Amino acid sequence: MMKDPFGGIILNIAFRVLVPFSIVYAVYVLIFGEISPGGGFQAGVALSVGVVFSRLILGEDAPFNISGASALILAGIGTFIFVFTGWISVLTGGHFLDYGKLPLRMEHVNEIHAMGILSIEVGVTLCVMATVITILDAIVKRSDDNGSA
Amino acid sequence: MQIYTIEAILLLFLIFITICIIYSRDILSSVVVYCGFSLCAVLLYLMMGAPDVAFTEAVIGTVTTIFYIVALRKIDRWCK
Amino acid sequence: MRGLVTILLAVLTGVFCTVVSFLPPIGSQDSAPNTHITPVYISQSEKDTGSPNVVTGTLADYRGFDTMWETSVMFLSGLTVVLILNKSTVGRRPEKEDDYE
Repeated sequence: MMKDPFGGIILNIAFRVLVPFSIVYAVYVLIFGEISPGGGFQAGVALSVGVVFSRLILGEDAPFNISGASALILAGIGTFIFVFTGWISVLTGGHFLDYGKLPLRMEHVNEIHAMGILSIEVGVTLCVMATVITILDAIVKRSDDNGSA
Repeated sequence: MQIYTIEAILLLFLIFITICIIYSRDILSSVVVYCGFSLCAVLLYLMMGAPDVAFTEAVIGTVTTIFYIVALRKIDRWCK
Repeated sequence: MRGLVTILLAVLTGVFCTVVSFLPPIGSQDSAPNTHITPVYISQSEKDTGSPNVVTGTLADYRGFDTMWETSVMFLSGLTVVLILNKSTVGRRPEKEDDYE
């Protein structure tokens, strides 16, 4: 995405401290979204903040180097996970997005509902993260090709 | 209709920030003041008892600030 | 024209400020949304959806279809930004004659 690192030494070190906290917090928000404020959308944007920060301070050598095309594919995969969870319950004899009919072996219907909610939250997280990275990538790549940076 | 004092202060401050954003001559300062707008909105949502919406607003404010600053750097317009 | 717009905005602001005073107070038990469906969701949400957070239960379970199309709109917006901003010369008017290759 960006060929050169972004800021000076102060910004680089500050972002370097922020990146692991941001990613760990995003996973926490995703997993504990059912019992505390949060959910798929917030977790996705926090993950994308981590990825974008690491891209801004390291340039093209970043460890999470998701470029434009693969990020778009990831967004499609996230949307597909959501819809596929809905269709599984149709195939097992329920309504669309009827989590009680998911083929899981658990004691209570509540737990199956919680697992269904968690799976669609993973889908939303992937879609939002990849979309934010895609938009930033499109902006940066267009101006890189113009040679103004 | 009951309204708390700090809520009224935050609402008035929101209007003031919006006027500052519109009439600012420098685009970069507009972007930074917009970050303050997002912070005030987060505090208001928290006072109204909606922590989910406040969380979303905080995260979105961060991401839009990054977007604007990267775009400003790319078009070489740091100041007027 | 500018004066007309200013007068119109002032009238609209006055109308809004008048109408707001007729709204029910925040958290009132007799307001329309608090008497119809909200008590059912609040009391039944944990039993129905298995999620202690009412917001997550409503978003993902009661209103799962809405959230699905919301995610689709998110994906479509990313796709549209890429389609608009990518550097392709298909169908674009050339600035110079050399742009056609």
